[in-house]
Amino acid sequence: MAKVLIENLYKIYPAEKGRPEKVAVDNANFEIQDREFMVLVGPSGCGKTTTLRMVAGLEEISRGAIYIDGKKINEIPPKDRDIAMVFQNYALYPHMSVYRNMAFGLELRGVPKEIIRKRVDSAARTLGLLEPDNLLERKPKALSGGQRQRVALGRAIVREPKAFLFDEPLSNLDAKMRVETRTEISRLHRQLASTMIYVTHDQTEAMTMADRIVVMRYGKIQQIAAPLDLYHQPANLFVAGFIGSPPMNFFTGTLTAALQGTLEFVEKVPKGQTPFRCPLSPDTSRRLSSRQDREVILGLRPEHLHPNSLTSGATLQASVEVVEPMGAETFVYLRTGGHTCICRTTQIEFMDLEGKTLNLGPDLSRAVFFDPQTEAAIPA
Amino acid sequence: MTLGERRNLIKGLVFVSPWILGFLAFNLYPLIASIWFSLCDYSVLSEPVFLGAQNYVDLWHDPVFWKALRNTIIFAVVAIPLSTFLSIGLAVLLNQPIAGQGIYRTIFFLPSLVPAISLAILWQWMLNGPMGLVNNLIRPFLNIINAVTGSHLQAPDWLNDPNFALWGLILTGLWGTGQAVVIYLAGLQEVPEELYEAAELDGTNAWQRFLHITLPMLSPVIFFNVLMSIIGALQTFAVPYILTGGGDGPGRSLLFLATYIYQNAFDYWNMGYASALALCLFVLIIGLSLVTVHYGEKKVHYSDR
Amino acid sequence: MNPTRSSVPWFSRVALILLGVLFLLPFFWMVSTSLKPLNETMKLPPQWLPSSPQWHNYPDAMQAMGPFWLYARNSLLLAFLNVVGTVFSSAFVAYGFSRLDWRGRDGCFFVLLATMMIPFPVVMVPIYGLFRALGWIGTFQPLWVPAFLAGAFNVFLLRQFFLSIPRDLSEAARIDGCSEFRIFWQIILPLAKPALLTVALFQFMATWNDFLGPLIFLARENQYTLALGLQALQGTISGTPWHHLMAASTLVLLPVLVLFFLTQRTFIRGIATTGLK
Ligand SMILES: Nc1ncnc2c1ncn2[C@@H]1O[C@H](COP(=O)(O)OP(=O)(O)O)[C@@H](O)[C@H]1O
Ligand SMILES: [Mg+2]
Repeated sequence: MAKVLIENLYKIYPAEKGRPEKVAVDNANFEIQDREFMVLVGPSGCGKTTTLRMVAGLEEISRGAIYIDGKKINEIPPKDRDIAMVFQNYALYPHMSVYRNMAFGLELRGVPKEIIRKRVDSAARTLGLLEPDNLLERKPKALSGGQRQRVALGRAIVREPKAFLFDEPLSNLDAKMRVETRTEISRLHRQLASTMIYVTHDQTEAMTMADRIVVMRYGKIQQIAAPLDLYHQPANLFVAGFIGSPPMNFFTGTLTAALQGTLEFVEKVPKGQTPFRCPLSPDTSRRLSSRQDREVILGLRPEHLHPNSLTSGATLQASVEVVEPMGAETFVYLRTGGHTCICRTTQIEFMDLEGKTLNLGPDLSRAVFFDPQTEAAIPA
Repeated sequence: MTLGERRNLIKGLVFVSPWILGFLAFNLYPLIASIWFSLCDYSVLSEPVFLGAQNYVDLWHDPVFWKALRNTIIFAVVAIPLSTFLSIGLAVLLNQPIAGQGIYRTIFFLPSLVPAISLAILWQWMLNGPMGLVNNLIRPFLNIINAVTGSHLQAPDWLNDPNFALWGLILTGLWGTGQAVVIYLAGLQEVPEELYEAAELDGTNAWQRFLHITLPMLSPVIFFNVLMSIIGALQTFAVPYILTGGGDGPGRSLLFLATYIYQNAFDYWNMGYASALALCLFVLIIGLSLVTVHYGEKKVHYSDR
Repeated sequence: MNPTRSSVPWFSRVALILLGVLFLLPFFWMVSTSLKPLNETMKLPPQWLPSSPQWHNYPDAMQAMGPFWLYARNSLLLAFLNVVGTVFSSAFVAYGFSRLDWRGRDGCFFVLLATMMIPFPVVMVPIYGLFRALGWIGTFQPLWVPAFLAGAFNVFLLRQFFLSIPRDLSEAARIDGCSEFRIFWQIILPLAKPALLTVALFQFMATWNDFLGPLIFLARENQYTLALGLQALQGTISGTPWHHLMAASTLVLLPVLVLFFLTQRTFIRGIATTGLK
């Protein structure tokens, strides 16, 4: 049972020799609901870890406050915050057996021996540390990466904390283990029904695991939303580009008047090239009317560019550079006008298209428009 | 300072408090007290009486002090380069794919383990004039030389001859140089093999490789070792003291600053004068170290590890 | 190993063998002399081996030194106290210098490094005065109490080791509920065992070999360490019984050698790292 509230949170590293002051977390505000799986995502160095460490109590809070269940915890030491943390490098005690690693936190809290044994056994069973091999008496050195990460999870679970904190727990695992452990953590979240805060730089992890996602950049929160909302309604260019793989296509251009009071998007291209033009629907035109004759950025997900489309009017001619068949779908990298764009399709008959020209039909109902100055999405 | 910073400061100070206590009692206080005592007539038994610079004036006119200073500097200036060459040489010899490398390393290292008291008594015996092993090894060679050149060279009575006592001590020191061999050997083994291979492809010979790869790569280790040896050599006391049976050798040839401090402090109970000497020794150490650092820093090659 | 470099020139081998023999000779001479009867030690030219080993020279030398076992006990007691004191206090201090962040830490550490440039003879006069004022002259205290106040060199060694232990471990322990002291005691110390062993060995050697300290701080014969007892033997007897002196020297050296051969790897690695860091 834990609700975590983060209020006007700042982390400022004061200037030191040869390094200016660094604002690692810049006025973060968000709330994590009880039992919610919240993921903090963003490029490396954006302040995710710092935020998480402030929640854990490992880093001092420069300004602002953190509340757990309504109680301000700024000055409470980590051990009394009733949280557990899983570290990127596992941070297992090398000189203790797996069993002691998991039991240590409980021993320190004076939990009776039998209860410790019960909890460790049940956590070990859940995590597959007993079958097929009983790993409890091994030292961490004798475990594989995946097993170590599961022990680290176990150490957190046995504590039965109010909240779990994860800092890039999968980044030291190979691709296959990563996917496996990802589902394992999601399953644990459902089973334990507790609050989890999870830090990663990998948007796939964020999208697949989160109830809600906090996107950060340069210490500032860019957007907080559920994965699909983030995907379809990114708040700004950065979020649009960061979330989704392959990333969103962007076209810079102007909105010019077209027939019947509608607008048309005309791509800005170097002289002599044919711009990509597409007429907007009356609805969209109305929404963007204030931007007539001004520059905008049009964002289109790769799957919203349809090859060989017969859609009326709006087509984009592009030459195929690379085709990447992924099996279920194909990524086509194209060059158009001045830049490249990506199309993602489930039709796989384009394998031998490299060098040829394709007609692409954008699904403008899914397009997102951004203000090139503020980089913010133009609201619907 | 924030609350957390203050908490950290207190924690930090608690952990280093033993050292702070030790520093105050055994470093800072003695240095300051030495300055005060050196300006006093002080015998420990009674309160210090202020004398002004008298001790330093006496010191300036004290031939024994100059003798001690001279011996100390000569010892450092001769023994340190010799033992550095010897130990680098041994380390280079050992850093070859040679059978029994570990055994040789142990052999060269063992003497450095010998306690000062055993070391000095052993070498008193080794350097004995008529019966010492050293002279008995030298004599055949001297006989050959004498026979060929018609000279009359005699094996010296090391510890009883003012001209040779210091050399006897240096010989003793060279035998105990093994720690440095181990350190240099470890340093050599950290030099990446590819460097030598690349240089070999460039057509260099072994000596050039030693000069242009081994020495530069080893230079930080040499620098550190030389600095430590200087500090060690300048405070040398126990071995010469025991070698001379608790004295300072024929014609004070084994009198060092540390010995003279000891004599003044604990034989003559002249603590004021001893303190003045101690400060001289301190200045000498700082001075020589700074000179070494000054000239060393330019020559030392720090790889970016 | 590269085949072109694997051939060792013959003169290297010869030089090594010669030097090896030279370095071993004094040991050989020491033991050989210690087993000779007195008259054989004086022979010219010297006799390499005793005609028949006089094993009783050893008990005789111990007898000549007076209360040999008392001296040995004193030496061992001091070595033990110094090892315990240095290991724990230096580790404690090194923890403060490596695993805690506090204002002024680096400045203090620099001072600590600088104190390594102050040798004992420079400060021994005021320290003697200090112990005298405490009434400690003629007791063991001056020879072991300072060990509990951490040694600069050992702090430096241990700090380097502690710095190599990942920070995560401390933080995991903090979240698990450890106090700072418990992190030190239950996480860092167990992980630092090899480094602690190195420090313990060095300190044992240093105390066992110490001569100047006992010389100035001890007064009565029954407090003598082996080093002082042996020096007294050297001084008191006229006619220099070299066989006894060599036997006694061998006895003083023996524990050090045994310890070395028992812990050779730790030892050599310890020496090597002190020079490289
Ligand atoms: N102790 C520190 N002192 C100064 N700057 C720091 C410190 N720790 C982290 N930073 C900076 O704060 C920023 C955020 O770091 P972090 O939270 O670790 O990023 P990430 O999102 O990759 O986890 C980075 O730019 C980093 O360089
Ligand atoms: Mg991070």
